[in-house]
This record gives sequence, structure tokens and C-alpha cells, in this order.
Amino acid sequence: MKKIVLLIVVVVFGSFSSNAQIQKIDQEVFGMDCAPCAYGLERGLEKLDGLEKVQVSLNDGKAYLDLANNNNLSLRQIQEEVKKNGFSAKNAEIVIKGNFVEQDGTYAIQTGKETFKIAEATSTNLRSRLKPGIVKVKGIVQDEEDGNLTNKWKLNITQVY
Amino acid sequence: MKTYFLILGIGLLTLYQVEAQGHGPIYGLQTPTLAKGGINMSAAGMSIATEDDASYMLRYTFFYGITEDLQVTLTTPTVIERLENAPRTRGNSMMPSNGDIEAALWYRFFSNAFGVGKRFESTAILGVSAPTEDVRGQVNVGNSIHGAISTGYASRTWYAWLGGGYQYYFEKDNQQLGDLPYASMVIGYRPDVFMGDYPKPDWRVFIESLVEFPGDNKYTGQQNFTDERSKKVLVGPSFLGLYGAWGISFGALFPVVQDLTPKAIKENYRVSINLSYWL
Repeated sequence: MKKIVLLIVVVVFGSFSSNAQIQKIDQEVFGMDCAPCAYGLERGLEKLDGLEKVQVSLNDGKAYLDLANNNNLSLRQIQEEVKKNGFSAKNAEIVIKGNFVEQDGTYAIQTGKETFKIAEATSTNLRSRLKPGIVKVKGIVQDEEDGNLTNKWKLNITQVY
Repeated sequence: MKTYFLILGIGLLTLYQVEAQGHGPIYGLQTPTLAKGGINMSAAGMSIATEDDASYMLRYTFFYGITEDLQVTLTTPTVIERLENAPRTRGNSMMPSNGDIEAALWYRFFSNAFGVGKRFESTAILGVSAPTEDVRGQVNVGNSIHGAISTGYASRTWYAWLGGGYQYYFEKDNQQLGDLPYASMVIGYRPDVFMGDYPKPDWRVFIESLVEFPGDNKYTGQQNFTDERSKKVLVGPSFLGLYGAWGISFGALFPVVQDLTPKAIKENYRVSINLSYWL
């Protein structure tokens, strides 16, 4: 019986690990003004494992990223790559699948690497649709200081799938 | 014949895909960006024409981004035709105009990216150089140091840079090339027609101005050295085209003021072309 329970735990955990991930990122980039800037950022991002599609727009000031299934990328890695290219990463719109949890009276969505705390700006209606367990949402990740990035973010949810 | 030589040299460089400099102006000081670990290679052809003659030179420059705020450059010349009495000038914002090999550090000590495509930034430059010839304009050439500071604004439409620098040649065998304080100002603009999004090519145009105060050469035991300086103001257009990892820029400067000491040489124009590739 214990073995069966252990097996179930392993399967559930394994399933969670492979599902909890960022699926899409539209990363706002400030300070990028020229084609070689965009080229450098695009090339730098393409070197990261787990990206399926990278498109950089100078006019929008954004990097549009589609992440592969079972990727292990974090938003922090993306923003650090932006900084490495000499620019400033600002807000990001993300689609994320993660584990919705309550911790000390606050709500958050966890992926394998990062925690996205639900921002107060998220509407009550959207918040009420989130149930403990795996959820998929779209939202705006609020800008953090480039030089002080952690694995914790504030997420203003705009859509619950 | 010399012109053909220059064109041939530039053509060969293009053929062999060797490339050139930052994404700003040609002559004015700028604040180039390069990613951490990024590499930029450039090749430039430049000419300075005086009343009597003209110089032609090719120059290759290697840029490496130690961090996103600190880059190192190494530039070497191939002098095709020297001027007998070369004007003291940098000749290009990122490299000497004469036959010097120069290594430099570019430190972006301030950067504020405050909008889409917009940023203010300031860069300090410190370089050391060694000459490839023993004598320049009948004066022994020593090593030199160069320091400069530049601050600028970049956006998708407008650009502006303001900078100033100083180059000092050390004495060699009782002779010393004159020093060079200088300042530059650049205004840039990208018309709407070139506002196509990456990866489409984009072009920008600059109006560049350069003010130089070159000192006269010194000789030990010289009786009549007055420590006077020439004063030059040069203005001209330049153009920069960027496509993916490639960049090409070209431009010219024309003197509008030349208040020269008796030994200084009068200039007619300077022209330059750069090809760049970012690895």
C-alpha cells in the first residue's frame, strides 16, 4: 500500500514539475534603439534552452517569446539576458501554468523555479476562479529592479483559462 | 590613383566581410553599447585632405564586451598614404587617424533606459597607443594616452551626443608631438520612412561637429615655442544604415573655422566609411 502511495506521489509530483512552467512571455524592454541591439538580444535569448520562438520588436520595445513544452526557463533568466545586452527589462505579460497555493494568507502561483504572488490589483472575480492545484493564467508581471532580481514576482492576473 | 586605392581597399574589406564600429556617429564621441560577451568587428577607410596632399588609411577595430557596461577595443591601421605634415586629430570617434595601434576601455558609467527605445547614458574612454612609424611630420613619435567622456540620448527617432577628450603624446628622443584637446557634438534623426521594425533595415542621419585645439610639436632646445594652439571647427553629415548584425556608416567633415598656428596645415575635408558586424 505504501509503495502505491509513494508511486502516486512520484507520478503526481513528476506531472506537476513538467506542467508548472511559463508558456509565453511578452517582455517589455526599455532602451533598445537599433537593429544590432535587437539582433544581439534575439541571439542571446535564442541561446537559452527552452525557447520555441523568439521575436524582437524595436518599435514595440518588446521581446515576444513562446516557450517550449516542459521548459525549465524562468522569467529571471529572461530579464537577466535583457540586462546582459545593456537594456532594462520592465513589465512582462506572461501565460503561466503553475500550482496555485495559499501561504500565510497570501495567494501565489508557483512554477518549479519561481513564485508569482497574486497582486492586489487582480480583480476579485478572477481571483475567485482560482482553485488550489494546477491553474493556467495570463497576467502582467510587475517590473522589479534590474540589479535586484529574485525568483519572486508580483502578478496581476488578467485572464484565467 | 590614391582614390582608386581607397575604393579598392574598401571593396576588398566588404568582400571579405570584415566589419566596423558602433551604431552612432562617425566622428563625434558616442556611447556605444555591446552585450556582455558580445563581439563587434569593424573596418574603416578614412582620408584627410589638406591643401597639398591627402592621406588614406584602413583601420580594423575589435570590440569585446567584458560586461554590458565595460568594453575593450583594439584598433590597428594599414596606412596607404601618409601626409608629410599630418594634422593632429583623432579622425574618428573610436580610433586614431594616424598610424597608431590603440587599446582602449569604454566604461558606461551612467545609463537610464526610460522608455521604449529611449535612454540617456554616459561613457568614459581611456586608451593607450603606440605608433607604427618612427617619425610623423618630421617629428619623432612617442606613445600616447587618450581620455574622453561622452554623454548622449538615443531614441527611435532622435539622437544627440556631447563629448570631449584629450590626447597626449609622450616625448621621444627630445621631440614631442603636440597634444589634442577636442570636443564634439552630434545630432541624429531617423525619418519615419526608415522606421521599419527589426529585422528590416533602418537608416539614420547625423550632423556632426568637431572642435579641435591641436598644440604645436615641441623640440628640446626650441627657442621660439609659444605654446599657442590652432583652433578648428569642422561640420558635416554622416549616415548610418543597420541591417541585422550589419552596419555601414559614411560621412564627411568640412572645416568652417581654421585658425592655425604658422606650422599647422590647412585642411580641406575628411571622409570616412565604416563597415561593422556584431558577432
